[in-house]
Amino acid sequence: MRRANVLSGMVLTAFSLIMLFVVIPWQIDPAPAGMISTRLVPNMMMIAIAVMSVILVVTNLKSAGGADGPSPITLADLRMVLRIGGLFVVTIVLYLLTGPLPAGFALVAGGLLALGERRPLPLIAMPALLLTALWLLFYKVLGTAIV
Amino acid sequence: MDYLALGFMDVLNPVTMFWVAAGVTIGYVLGAIPGLGKATGVAVSIPLTFYLQPVAALGMLIGIAKGSAAGSAVSAILLNTPGEPSSAPTALDGYPLARQGKAQKALKMGLFASVIGDFFSTVILIVLAAPLAHYALLIGPVELAAILLFSLTFIGGLSGGSMLKGLIAAAFGIFFATIGLEGETFIPRMTFGLLELDDGISLVPMAIGMLAVAEMFIQAGELKRLDVETEAISKGSNPGDNVVTRAEWRRCAPVIARGTLVGSLIGILPGLGASVGSFLSYGMTQRLSKTPEKFGTGMIEGVAAAESADNAVVPSSLVPLFALGIPGSVIAAILIAAFILHGLTPGPLMFQQQPRLVADVYAAMLFASVVMLVIGYTCQSLFAKIIRVPMRLIIPGVLLLCCVGAYMETSSIFSIYVMLFFALFGYLARKLDFSFVTFLIGFVIGPKLEFSFRQSIQLLDHNAVNLLHHPIAIVFLVLTVATLWWIGRWKRPQMPSAPGERGPAPRTDIASDHKGGS
Amino acid sequence: MKTFTKRGLLGAALGLAVAVTAGSLPAQAADGYPSGPITMLVGYGAGGQTDLVARAAAQVMSGQLGVPINVVNMPGAGGSLAAYELSKAKPDGQTLLFHSNSVINSAPFIMDRVNFKPGDFEYAGMITAYQVGLATHKDAPFDTLPEYIAWAKEHPGSSYGALSPEARMYINAISEKEGLDVNIVPLKSGGEMLNALLGRQVELAFSGGIHFRNPDELKTISALTTFRQPSAPDVATIEEDGYPLAMDTRTTLILPKGTPRAVLDKLAAALKAAETDENFMKITESANIPIMYLGVDDAYAEMNSTYEKHKKILENAGPGSN
Repeated sequence: MRRANVLSGMVLTAFSLIMLFVVIPWQIDPAPAGMISTRLVPNMMMIAIAVMSVILVVTNLKSAGGADGPSPITLADLRMVLRIGGLFVVTIVLYLLTGPLPAGFALVAGGLLALGERRPLPLIAMPALLLTALWLLFYKVLGTAIV
Repeated sequence: MDYLALGFMDVLNPVTMFWVAAGVTIGYVLGAIPGLGKATGVAVSIPLTFYLQPVAALGMLIGIAKGSAAGSAVSAILLNTPGEPSSAPTALDGYPLARQGKAQKALKMGLFASVIGDFFSTVILIVLAAPLAHYALLIGPVELAAILLFSLTFIGGLSGGSMLKGLIAAAFGIFFATIGLEGETFIPRMTFGLLELDDGISLVPMAIGMLAVAEMFIQAGELKRLDVETEAISKGSNPGDNVVTRAEWRRCAPVIARGTLVGSLIGILPGLGASVGSFLSYGMTQRLSKTPEKFGTGMIEGVAAAESADNAVVPSSLVPLFALGIPGSVIAAILIAAFILHGLTPGPLMFQQQPRLVADVYAAMLFASVVMLVIGYTCQSLFAKIIRVPMRLIIPGVLLLCCVGAYMETSSIFSIYVMLFFALFGYLARKLDFSFVTFLIGFVIGPKLEFSFRQSIQLLDHNAVNLLHHPIAIVFLVLTVATLWWIGRWKRPQMPSAPGERGPAPRTDIASDHKGGS
Repeated sequence: MKTFTKRGLLGAALGLAVAVTAGSLPAQAADGYPSGPITMLVGYGAGGQTDLVARAAAQVMSGQLGVPINVVNMPGAGGSLAAYELSKAKPDGQTLLFHSNSVINSAPFIMDRVNFKPGDFEYAGMITAYQVGLATHKDAPFDTLPEYIAWAKEHPGSSYGALSPEARMYINAISEKEGLDVNIVPLKSGGEMLNALLGRQVELAFSGGIHFRNPDELKTISALTTFRQPSAPDVATIEEDGYPLAMDTRTTLILPKGTPRAVLDKLAAALKAAETDENFMKITESANIPIMYLGVDDAYAEMNSTYEKHKKILENAGPGSN
């Protein structure tokens, strides 16, 4: 975790400085006279983050020397993130091109595949069941209003 | 209030009872499903109630709100994905409990705390609506700013493993909340020209992404370990894990009482919301506990604190609505439309013009509290079975529901983009041990604090001396300073030697083990 | 429209239920409109004034047209997001927007990235008006705008609650002309505005009409519309008090550009039924919303004239609006 802390501390410091000096002045116009500056709170937060990130880096560098422990994000984790991330990309593209039903189906079926499910029954039944259940919950629930 | 007796007579007929129970059930199920929350549920159900009798209609809608506040604990405990942001603290201790095989215990306590909080808050609403509302009017922006400042003092304790990282997360939360049109100057902040960001980042898609989707990402990466754990849980369960013991009741009773009080008070103040209530209650309980460092590893008091406050907010948020016609929460705002549609105009006139109908609604609400206990109990045995299902089947389902829940907010795919962005953000935050709890608190309280501050400056005519006209604000400011001082004194003897980290070294293993975000 | 397929499912049942309630299911008109369920966008979230009227109107119109009408909330940027969504829809009358016309005749002058013009859309009638006014609590020592001005001169540093750039525009214009020293307290919502007034935290506030919910505690001192308001007929309009700043806003049926006139006429006729519909009247009355129906031609005239008028007012506005 220590190495991760140092890394995240450095990334955060860089991020906050960029926000402070580039993005905030670019994206936020100053406030008219008599009102609290629009940039006040964002700036305050970025300064706080910058300062605290530096402290994070420094304290984690100093206590180096002992065993560190495994990295919190392993390669396997990253692979999973990419897999599911890719799944979402596919889902969104499908949605924009075809519509919610194929997209929803792909999301569930694809998710199952990404997580290692190989049996055809769950791959087809689960999305179908879920989509039907959703349809029931919203459609039927409104429909049963016919007392 | 002899009308109340009549009210009960009106309500206790099969048709009305059915609809109220139906509402509570729908609410409970919706709350339990990550991604779908009470606001969506109530809004979507309003048309359904068009041709029900007013009492049945209103009872049902309020039932949905109550049910979902209770149901949201279920997914928080079983899947570490809160059904709503206000149940996030429940997950902090509920999920570890579930992973220790004590899911039923946690679920039961969650339900009991919810029902008790809800019931007493409803009683408070009925008995004290008018006087409370008038006191609530005394809370203006100046007082609110002081109260919010005071509630921030409890943030430190919620940082989990590292205070420093917790504060960084809180700062990020506040920062993200500034995105959008600023409320006083109407100058866009960080919207990059996107109209969709004018109203800022919506809490629901953000919370769904950060709490639910991120959790699904994490659990996807741990499938093997989780499956092994689940096997162990199913095989060896001792009966004590499925009930709440007397000792635990004794420990939790004061916690629930406190949570109910906090939730009711927060609910009455307009604009704060259930998340503030449950976080505050959890934070307070942790601070006042004899073993604060155990929070986050499976303290049942944590579940009790969060759920009682979370549920208590719902009825009490109707206080300003009923007494003054002011919607103090999202639910109240949605309910106004429903009320008017059914011929009841919320506000002081309501009590004079339609006392019978008001009494009917009150009776329906109390009935809903009771019904919630029954329904929760029944549903839980069903839901608890979910924990036996392998995660690889659950995760895709949850992902789908999260997409639906996020989309429904704005009927636009932009919310899904927001959800995904925060899913990534939340994933990194969890993995790198940055507390998402403090992020949420910063996100929710930050903008309110900034805005009330701006309002206060104007109200005080840019002159701090005018603060003397606001005694309540001064009281809270003094309380804030006092609390900070007390925390500083109390924490010092426990300060460990390792700089930058709080607590003894082994804690980090527990933290990375249970991935509860603390 | 792909975006609405799932909503279509949702709304199909909703509309079916609504239509069944409405009772009659008249036979499909010969010219083929409407050809199926209609989608009604609302540019604000569920539960507000506009949403309430929209749903009530949808119920009436659904009965008239014989098809379900699905109300879809698409909040964001004061309705601009919904308007942009509408402009992408097919001009066949199957998609319409029920919203305040301020999204077209005011928003473009206040928000940088909104550029609507009346000619960008078609209009099928207007049904209710917003009783926008300056409100205060019952015990305030002034009853009219001139009295308020006199009072404010003697009490510099008083507070005014504003929840939008228009709200700020009004007090800025008055302060500038009369040399007042008023602190503008920002407010986030109507609920907050009511709270601020009832709690005596501000002495005056801009209200979009919901102050009529508390007639015992709140009074109007100036009507910000060009007409005297039905809920407060004794209150002078701001124009009568010497400020040509009144801006009328009404709920309007907005349709994509190019929608045929025949479709507009049909929708307007269906909308007109709300004027005399018992349910609709009950709802608008209890919410203090006056019914002021305008047909297709009147709607166009209103859009064009208010666009020009509001442009002059808002572009000349001082600091505080952008």
